[in-house]
Amino acid sequence: HHKKMITSGVAPKVIQNYVYSRPPPWSETLPTIFVITPTYTRPVQKAELTRLANTFLHVQNLHWVVVEDSPRRTNLVSNLLEKAGLNFTHLNVESPQSLRVGGSWIPSHKPRGTLQRNLGLHWLRDSFNSTQPPEGVVYFADDDNTYSLELFEEMRYTRRVSVWPVAFAGGLRYESPVVSPAGKVVGWKVVFDPNRPFAIDMAGFAVSIRLILERPQATFKLEGIKGGYQESSLLKDLVTMDGLEPKAANCTKVLVWHTKTERPMLANEGKHGFSDLRMEV
Amino acid sequence: MKVKLKNVFVIYFLVSVIGLMYALLQLGQPCDCSQHLRSASDLMHSKDKKISQLLSEVKRLQARGKGPEPEEQALPIIYAITPTYTRLVQKAELVRISQTFLHVKNFHWIVVEDSPVKTQLVSELLAQSGLRFTHLHTETPKEHKHKENDPSWLKPRGVEQRNLALQWLRENRELSEEGVVYFADDDNTYSIRLFDEIRSTKRVSVWPVGLVGGLRFERPLVENGRVVGFYTAWKPNRPFPVDMAGFAVALQLLLANREARFDLLAERGYLESSLLQSLVSIEELEPRADNCTKVLVWHTRTEKPKMKQEELLQKQGLGSDPSIEV
Repeated sequence: HHKKMITSGVAPKVIQNYVYSRPPPWSETLPTIFVITPTYTRPVQKAELTRLANTFLHVQNLHWVVVEDSPRRTNLVSNLLEKAGLNFTHLNVESPQSLRVGGSWIPSHKPRGTLQRNLGLHWLRDSFNSTQPPEGVVYFADDDNTYSLELFEEMRYTRRVSVWPVAFAGGLRYESPVVSPAGKVVGWKVVFDPNRPFAIDMAGFAVSIRLILERPQATFKLEGIKGGYQESSLLKDLVTMDGLEPKAANCTKVLVWHTKTERPMLANEGKHGFSDLRMEV
Repeated sequence: MKVKLKNVFVIYFLVSVIGLMYALLQLGQPCDCSQHLRSASDLMHSKDKKISQLLSEVKRLQARGKGPEPEEQALPIIYAITPTYTRLVQKAELVRISQTFLHVKNFHWIVVEDSPVKTQLVSELLAQSGLRFTHLHTETPKEHKHKENDPSWLKPRGVEQRNLALQWLRENRELSEEGVVYFADDDNTYSIRLFDEIRSTKRVSVWPVGLVGGLRFERPLVENGRVVGFYTAWKPNRPFPVDMAGFAVALQLLLANREARFDLLAERGYLESSLLQSLVSIEELEPRADNCTKVLVWHTRTEKPKMKQEELLQKQGLGSDPSIEV
């Protein structure tokens, strides 16, 4: 059963095949999509990574860089990555206490995943020669979002930095770049702090490998970053607004959703745990 | 002995000429190279064999892309029944589970909307999904419907929709067709391996479900390959204390018991039992997932997205473009 979908009358094609849990064969000519996913241990982690893997198995030439917020690489993530069948790199770096996602009910306002994303960038810069960069793009995919297959084909040929709308970001149905009739990004259709240099969610942009390698000092900043400015802290060292490439039919289609998974109610585990800890969940 | 340079040159010249003449005389002479030829020929044969092996592998893979192979056509079809309803995260949920379902051979998705009509969103999504599907709809009667902010446990959900799917199967499938029915809610998370476990169901099979019932997991207790009880902390005295995601039913069993369905009036937590008790006894349950010791499905739930800014904008008549589908 083979179905091709041409999007918006231009190049990117999405092929939906019965894949049977193996990725499409690696192509020597297709640009590689490096997906950097920070992750941390909590009850829904395995579920999130499982469904992400099921999605990524459909994308050709995808390399998954999973970075655990942990002092050691955990068995859960190691085993999952080995069995998934994807091309992957497994890294880890522990966030200092103040930045860690805590067990409390109050969500942390500190930016999360920063150290982990930066480690992913560091690995890329270590692994590839900036004089002969591979064709490809870097995308920061958090483990609880939802990604359409079309999105990956939109980002694949990014020359510098490409952008698109993200559903459920910033308290809106979707946040989106504003694109002029000439096809240039001229502003941000957002309500939350529209004066951010790049009023865009982590899931709303991708950067070409070449640019990442050309600007080794460009990283996400840790200190003094207000909520919502994480993305700007990286992008300001990479590109200016008029250098952005709008995708998704000039930013009129939603191809990625900022979903969040509920914290499961585990009250019946009680204080000392009830279920067998040897069973991995 | 003193070696004069001139002599060195002369000797060099003579040796070269002799060598050259010898080589010229050898040209065209038959030689015994049979050993080399044989090993080169063997090498070529083995490479040829490898090439034809690879070619047939390529053909096989190409054929796979075209449709089921003969042995796949014999695989029982898995019918996944997914009730769904319009809300902000609906499209995202359906997109991501469809991405999982694309990995399952002989899969048939029955999507039942809680709606008086088939919505464009779901129709288009199904058409583009690449999956074999049936698109149904039925609206939950008002008195059984949730209101906007009702907690999820208040009334059983998806009952009419699942029952409609069962009715469709009974009207459109024969007893002779092998299949297994699984109730796959649109917000759970399914591993690919789960479907191998589902596929072998003879009557009703069961397995653990993660993150449900207030526990890390609930699961049937298995001794000597039989289910002898259930590990659960919530209402353990239910006839079948299993979650909707924790069992599958052979199609033939449902076709042979045409009255078996979910009870709209079932007490909270008893929905699964209302179906299963007319189909099977506990002793007959088939444990899967390594005697119910592996978690292959999780009862994840998705947060309702915060729409504070959207609501503010809409009050000012500046809400987001409704023609952009989310």
